[in-house]
Amino acid sequence: MSGKRLTGVYFAVYSNGSECEIDIDQLIEYTRQIPGIGIIWNGDLKQTMQADFIVDEIKKHNLDRIVLAGDEPGIVKPLFSKAMVLSGKNPEDIVLAGFNEYSIKSNKDLDRAKAIIYCAALGVPFENVALPSEAEVHTDTLVIGGGIAGIQASLEIANSDHKVYLVEKTGTIGGHMAMFDKTFPTLDCAACILTPKMVEVGQHTNIELMTYCEVIGVEGVPGNYKVRILKKARRVDLADCIGCGICSEKCPAKTVSEFDAGITLRTAIYIPFPQAVPNKYLIDAASCIYVQKGKCGVCVKVCPPNCINLDEKDQEVEINVGNIIVSTGFKVFDAKRVENLGYGKYPNVVTSLEFERLVNAAGPTEGNIKFRSKDKKENWIFSPESDEPKSVALIHCVGSRDENYNKYCSRVCCMYSLKLAHLVKEKIPEAEVYEYFIDMRAFGKGYEEFYERIKEEGVHIIRGRTAKIEERDDQLILRSEDILAGKLIEQKVDMAILAVGLEPREDAEELSKMLGIKQGEQGWFVEANSVDDTVGTFTGGITIAGVCQGPKDIPDAVAQGSAAASRVLQSIIKGKVKKSIKDISLEQIETKVNQYTNIMEGIS
Amino acid sequence: MSIRVNPGFIKELTKYGAREWNACFHCGNCTAVCSLTERGILFPRKEIRAIQMGLTEKLASSPEPWLCYYCGDCSENCPRDANPGEIMMSLRRYLTSIYDWTGMAARLYKSYAAHLWFMIFLFLAVIAAFVVFSRIPDSPEVKLNTFAPVHIISLLDHILLIFLGSFLITNIINMYVKIIIKDKTVKIPVWLYFKEAWNAIFQFATQWNITKCQRNNWYWFGHWFLFTGYILMFVMVIFFLDWFQTEEIHPFYHPQRILGYYVTAGFLFATIYFMIGRYRKKKEIFKYSHHSDWIFVVLLFLLAFTGIFIHIFRVNGMALPTYYAYVLHLAVEVPMVVTFVAFSKWSHLAYRPLAIYFAHLKKSARALQEKNKIEFVTQ
Repeated sequence: MSGKRLTGVYFAVYSNGSECEIDIDQLIEYTRQIPGIGIIWNGDLKQTMQADFIVDEIKKHNLDRIVLAGDEPGIVKPLFSKAMVLSGKNPEDIVLAGFNEYSIKSNKDLDRAKAIIYCAALGVPFENVALPSEAEVHTDTLVIGGGIAGIQASLEIANSDHKVYLVEKTGTIGGHMAMFDKTFPTLDCAACILTPKMVEVGQHTNIELMTYCEVIGVEGVPGNYKVRILKKARRVDLADCIGCGICSEKCPAKTVSEFDAGITLRTAIYIPFPQAVPNKYLIDAASCIYVQKGKCGVCVKVCPPNCINLDEKDQEVEINVGNIIVSTGFKVFDAKRVENLGYGKYPNVVTSLEFERLVNAAGPTEGNIKFRSKDKKENWIFSPESDEPKSVALIHCVGSRDENYNKYCSRVCCMYSLKLAHLVKEKIPEAEVYEYFIDMRAFGKGYEEFYERIKEEGVHIIRGRTAKIEERDDQLILRSEDILAGKLIEQKVDMAILAVGLEPREDAEELSKMLGIKQGEQGWFVEANSVDDTVGTFTGGITIAGVCQGPKDIPDAVAQGSAAASRVLQSIIKGKVKKSIKDISLEQIETKVNQYTNIMEGIS
Repeated sequence: MSIRVNPGFIKELTKYGAREWNACFHCGNCTAVCSLTERGILFPRKEIRAIQMGLTEKLASSPEPWLCYYCGDCSENCPRDANPGEIMMSLRRYLTSIYDWTGMAARLYKSYAAHLWFMIFLFLAVIAAFVVFSRIPDSPEVKLNTFAPVHIISLLDHILLIFLGSFLITNIINMYVKIIIKDKTVKIPVWLYFKEAWNAIFQFATQWNITKCQRNNWYWFGHWFLFTGYILMFVMVIFFLDWFQTEEIHPFYHPQRILGYYVTAGFLFATIYFMIGRYRKKKEIFKYSHHSDWIFVVLLFLLAFTGIFIHIFRVNGMALPTYYAYVLHLAVEVPMVVTFVAFSKWSHLAYRPLAIYFAHLKKSARALQEKNKIEFVTQ
C-alpha cells in the first residue's frame, strides 16, 4: 500500500442544518470503508482559518489528495489550495464533493451523497460514472402550459416536424404575456409579438392544441410516458363554433374576467380575449346559470351554428409521449396579504397586473388611466367617465424580498414598474410619478439604459420601501423613508400601483409529484443544475422551462423554451432518451468507479 | 468631516443583546412604519446604519433610541427579519453604559454572573447589617421602629440617595455633553430650552407616546401604574418616612394605607403583566429578554411581595415575622436600587424624558438653521 496516494476527506457543512439535513455521521462511517483514505475530518471549517493547521495535517497524515465534502465546500477551497502549496503538494489535487450541486438536501439523498464522495475519493468524475442508461424514445412530446415558454418550445419542436401536444388549463394559450400591454425595455406591444406566435400554434399541423385541459396522471418510464388528460367540458363544439359572440351578448350570467385581472366582467359563456387561440367560446361551469341551477339555456337558443351542448361532460383521454416539457408558469402574489398597503381596502390601490389591463387599449377605459369609481350599483369599477389621477406611485417588492412573504427577488418587478411609470407619463404627461424601490435591478440588455431613460422622463425615483398606505380625503398617503436624502416622507398620491411578485402556482406541488420532479424550498421546480443545466431535471425525459423553474422575464422564458425544445429534439434525433440519474444505485456507481480505477491502474 | 469606520463595534454591541444587525438591507420600512418617527427624528434604520459602520460617536450623540417604546411594528414588518426593535433595545443598554462614566453599567449589562453576584452580595450585606446592628425588641407587640428606628433608616435612605443621585446626575451631564455639546452640527438657542421643556415634562408624567404605538393599551397602563407607584413610593420614603413607617395601625381608609395599597397594586399589576409577557414571548417587546430585564422585573415583584407580607404581619400583630419580612424587603430593595437606578434599566426613568427633550431641541434647532439658510439664500 506504500505506493498509494493517501486522500484526506474534510467535511464542511455551512447551512447550520437549515437546508442541508444530511446525517454526516453516516457519511463518515461510509467514507471509512473507501480504500486509500488517510484521514476523515469533521469539524468547523471556516474561510478565515489559518492554513498552517491544514499544512500540519497534510504533513502528519502524509496526504497527497484532499476531498472537500459538504453543501458548499468550494468556500474553503482557497484555504486548502494554499495549504497544499505550502506543503509542497499539487493544489490541483483538491476535489470537491458538493451536495448542493446535486440537490442533496436530506437523508433521502444519502446514497447520492455517498456516491459523490466515493467518486471524489477515488478521483473519478461523478459525471463520468453516473451516466444514466438510455431508453427508446417515443417521438411525440407533451408540453404542459401554453404561456410564452410553452408556445416557444412547442413551435421549435413542431417546426422540426415532430408532433407536440400542448395542454393548457385555461380556454386559450398566451398565458400572462397576453395580459401585458407593453414589453420592457423596448416598449414593444406584447400582443404584437405574442399573437402571431399563438396563431401559428393554433394552425400548426404538428401541434395538437388541447386548451381547457389538465394533465391528471403520468405513468410509464422516460421515453414512453402514458399521460392521462382531462378534457374539461367546454360545452361549445370547437369545430362548429364560428366565434360570432351572439351567445355572449345574450348570456345573463356575469363574473369577473380572469384575463382582465378581475377589473372587468365577462359572461359565463365567453372567449377569454378577442385574440384568443383557439378563437372559440367556452362556458365557465362555475358561473353558468344552466349548469348551476338547471334552467336558462339562452345561449343554446341564439347560437346560429347550434354548437352549444350544455350537458357535455368532462372526458378523459390518454396519450403516449416520449418527452414532457413543463412550462406551467406562475401566479401573482396576493397583495391583500400585505395589510399595511391597503389593497382591497382602498379602491385606488391597484396591483400591477390590474394596471397593466387598465392601460391596455382593450381594457375597460380604452387604455386611459382613470380612477376606480363607484357605479350605480355601488360596485367599484374603472369607468371611462371618471377622472384621471394626477399623481401615481409605484411600490416595488410587494411580496418579494420579504422574509414575511417570499424571500426571493421576483426579478421582473423593477423593470415592469419602470415600464408602467413610462406608460403613465405617456398617457398623462403632467402626472407626477413616484417609484419607491429598495434596490433597482436593471440587469438585462438595454435595461439600465431604460432605467436612465425613465429617470430623464421626470419620474421621481425614491430609494425606500413604502411601509404604509392610508387614505385621507380621497387621497392616498404613502409613508416611507427616503434613504438617500435621510428624510421621512408622507407623499400624497391619487393612485398607488403595487408591484406584486411572482409565486409558484398552487397546483405545482401536485404536478411535481405526478411527474416525479422536485420542488425547491420556495416551490419552484428544481433544475438539474443551476448553472449549466437549467432546463433539465433529475427525471429522464422531463424538462422545465419558463417561470415554473424560477422568476424570469419574457426573453429568458423564451430562451428556456427553446433550450428545453433542443433537449427534446436531441433525444428524438438520437432515438434515445436518458433515463433518470436518480435510478442509478450506489452499487452501480461503485462498480463503475472500480472498473474505471482498475483500467487507470492498468494503464499506469 | 471624516468618519472613522469601526467594524469591530458590533462585537461590543452583541454583548448588549443586539442580533441580526447584519441582515438589514436599508429599505427604510422600519422608520416609515413606526408611529413615533417624524420629520427630523428618524429611527431605527439610521441607527442600524451607524451600528453597521461602527460610528460610535454618532450613536452616542443620538437621543433617538430612547424615543422608541418597542411596540414591535418595525420588527414585525421588517422584510429581512433584522429585528430593529431589539436592536433599539440593545442600543439603549449600550447608551446607558456609555453615559455611565464609572463602567459599572457596562459590567452589569455584559455579564449576567457579575450582575447576579453583585446583587447577592448586597442582599447578604443588608441582612448582615441587621444581624450586627439591630436587636429584636422583647415586646410581644410589633415595635418596628424599635427594631429599625425610622430616623436611622431615613438617614441611610438619604445617604443612598445622595450617593446614587450623584452618579445619576453626573451620568445625565455626560449624556447632555454627548448628545448636545459634542454634536457640532447643531447650535441650540437658549429660549428653545424653555419652549421644548413642556413636552418633555408631559411625556415624563404621562408616557403618552406609548399609546401612539402600543396597540394594546394595557401595556401603557401597566407602565404608567408602575411609574406613578414608584414615584409616590420614592417621595414617601425619602421625605415622609416617619409618616409612612409608623407603629400606629391606621384604619384602612387612612391616606397612608391607601397610598401603600396603590403603590403595591401598581407594582404587582405591572410586574405580573411583564413577567407573563416575557414568559409567553408573544408580543415583540417581550420576545427577547436580556438578563437585566428579568432581574429587574423579578426584583420589583419581590419588593411588592415582601411589602405585602410586612403589612399583613404588622396588622395582625405578628412581631417576629414582621421583622423578618422587613429585613427581606430592604435586602431586596437595596440591590435593586443600587444596581438599577444609575447603572441599568431603571435609569431610563431619567434618560428617556431627557432624550425626548434633547431630540426635540435638536430637531427644532435644525429646522431653524434650515430656515435661516433659506432666508440667507433668498436675500
